[in-house]
Amino acid sequence: MKVLIVDHKKCTGCHQCELWCGTEIASVSKELYHAIHEEPHPVPRVYVEGKHFALQCRHCENAPCMEACPNGTMRRDPETGLVYVNEPTCIACWMCVMACPFGIINPSSSTKVAIKCDRCRNMGYPICAEACPTQALRLEERKDYHKKAF
Amino acid sequence: MEFIQKKTADSALESFLSKAAEKEISLVWDRYEGQLPECGFCETGLSCRDCLQGPCISHPFRDSNKLGVCGKDKDTLAIQSLLRLVIKGTMTYLDRLSDFAKGVESGKVKPRNKTKTEQTLKEVQSLLRDGGKEIKKEFPKELTHRWEEIGISPEGVARDLFKASQKLEGGIAEVEETLLWAFKSSLLGCMAHWLQGSLKKSVFGDPTPTKVGVNLGLLRKEVPNLLLYGPLSPILKRKIGEAAKKKGVHVMGVCTDPLVPPFSFPPATNYGSQEIPIMTGAVDLIVAGDHFVNPSLAEVAKHWEVPIVPTDGLRREKDPDRLARQMVEQAEKSFAFRRNIPRDIPENRESALMGFSPKNLDMKKILDALQKGKIKGIAILSGSNNVKYTQDKEMVTLAQEFLKNDILCISGGEASVTLAKYGFLNSDSAKINCGKGLSELLLSLGREIPSILDLGGAEDSGITDFLLSMAGTGKKSLKDYPIVACFPEANRSSEVVEAMWMVAMGVSTYFWPCLPITGSPKTMTALSQFCQEKFGSTFHVITEKKLEATAKASLIMKDLKGEAPPRLAGQPWK
Repeated sequence: MKVLIVDHKKCTGCHQCELWCGTEIASVSKELYHAIHEEPHPVPRVYVEGKHFALQCRHCENAPCMEACPNGTMRRDPETGLVYVNEPTCIACWMCVMACPFGIINPSSSTKVAIKCDRCRNMGYPICAEACPTQALRLEERKDYHKKAF
Repeated sequence: MEFIQKKTADSALESFLSKAAEKEISLVWDRYEGQLPECGFCETGLSCRDCLQGPCISHPFRDSNKLGVCGKDKDTLAIQSLLRLVIKGTMTYLDRLSDFAKGVESGKVKPRNKTKTEQTLKEVQSLLRDGGKEIKKEFPKELTHRWEEIGISPEGVARDLFKASQKLEGGIAEVEETLLWAFKSSLLGCMAHWLQGSLKKSVFGDPTPTKVGVNLGLLRKEVPNLLLYGPLSPILKRKIGEAAKKKGVHVMGVCTDPLVPPFSFPPATNYGSQEIPIMTGAVDLIVAGDHFVNPSLAEVAKHWEVPIVPTDGLRREKDPDRLARQMVEQAEKSFAFRRNIPRDIPENRESALMGFSPKNLDMKKILDALQKGKIKGIAILSGSNNVKYTQDKEMVTLAQEFLKNDILCISGGEASVTLAKYGFLNSDSAKINCGKGLSELLLSLGREIPSILDLGGAEDSGITDFLLSMAGTGKKSLKDYPIVACFPEANRSSEVVEAMWMVAMGVSTYFWPCLPITGSPKTMTALSQFCQEKFGSTFHVITEKKLEATAKASLIMKDLKGEAPPRLAGQPWK
């Protein structure tokens, strides 16, 4: 399976990944100039933590969010192994928010669904990795992640 | 993150693009792609590096960092980004003026009109000291009165620029207040630019329409070619012209004023492709100023062994005579040294008639045509190139659309060179693409009039003269005319300043690409509504990124017809 590697030595904390995630994934208009004026604010799925770490969903092998979800809204794509929120069925109970060990699931107050990175599973390539000017974020194939686990 | 699919509209350059790719030389387009994605915070004006506690950003999507360390919010950040550009741009005009004035004072060139030259030099001093009382008299009374009332009338470098620069250092100035400081600074730039033009007129005589060749085809194979890059002091240019004539050296220019009577320096190309002339192998020496000159020239020049001489330096020769002689001699030596380097000169060349001014145009006829509805409006085309657009395409498409729809186009500086490359300034092929009303007007102005009127290079004040003469002849304020300024491919801070003073004079301005202010809705409103209230004109910053040039043209034409945002035509000042 492919994993998104975060190299904290290369991360300069420039927040570009947040900006592009907010524009390309979270906004309605998909244009930076317009996205920044949208109400409610687009919520990026990646968080630049502290000074030098861009954190997004790790798509855990044993995902606590999936276990915590009472109605199967949190699902895993069998093809790619990516964990995503099936928004129409989300009941906003925030169990996943409590269960996530990384704290990357955001309870959206405006839309009443859990917001979480799905690593741009419909776009082919994660926008945060594409936008990262120092390549601190990059997609890499990991042999030791077994597909059969899913 | 958008790549430019087609790099340039100029066919002369195509072979060189593939040549550069073969030789692995990075050109401006490659470097732009390398920079993508550009910083979104800087692009929208939401970043600041003014102190060492930062750098700070105002995050549009997160609540934790909406304010900078010192407390600047998005509105302050955005308007200060604009102010920073304006201050820098104003200094460009002041620098050019001071260079020129110093050259004239040294007495190396005998001025055409001695008394007027001395008078202008005094005015230059007065502008720098107290904002030039005499110069303001040249502007329409109601305009200067209005500027006094708002408090943006120039009061000298210290009161305008120094004070404006301190707005970046701190204080609690609001968006509108900071914007007015930017306007004040830009008006100082306007007057400096205007003085530069009138000094040039008094030293070298009034501009007359002159035939100039344009594009790479004019480089010569058999004689040394010396290229002037960037707006240099006209005195030095004249001296270079004199020395080169004696020695038979061919002098051309890039991003420099082509007309310094009695010499003309044909533009080899325009801003966007300034590295290409070197790649022909036919350039033997480059004399480079600062403004408009890309530092990349040095690297490209190494491949073709072209020496580059800067005009300014802390310990450079100050005497323009000797400096010019040295440069021309070096060009000759370099020509001999570079004999083995093949010269690959494309055949593209165009002829252009440049250097009109209100003095050799019948302003009454133009205003008559405007009043009778023969022409639908006047568009000022200005600005250089921006790598974010296909080179020249935006400018050329706008010009075509305007001409077709009976809008008189005037241009100046780099925009003229761009348009000249495509034959818009050629008096023989004129009037072909023009609408009926417009071609009638152009024919009545004279037999040898091209479809677009060039009002002089970046160092002339032709466009300002034209506007002032319009206001004077028509006895109407500029905001009441259907006239717009367009910067379809703007780039440098000096162009921002030009756009700002156009707005302050009452001419609505369209500016692409977006200024770094789009992160703040308040600043956007200030540039539209606030400017409309104060000056009767609007600074249009259009945020639609995927707008075709033809769509831009129809947007502007709607504005000229008065269909778009309400204009204050004919109404008293608020």
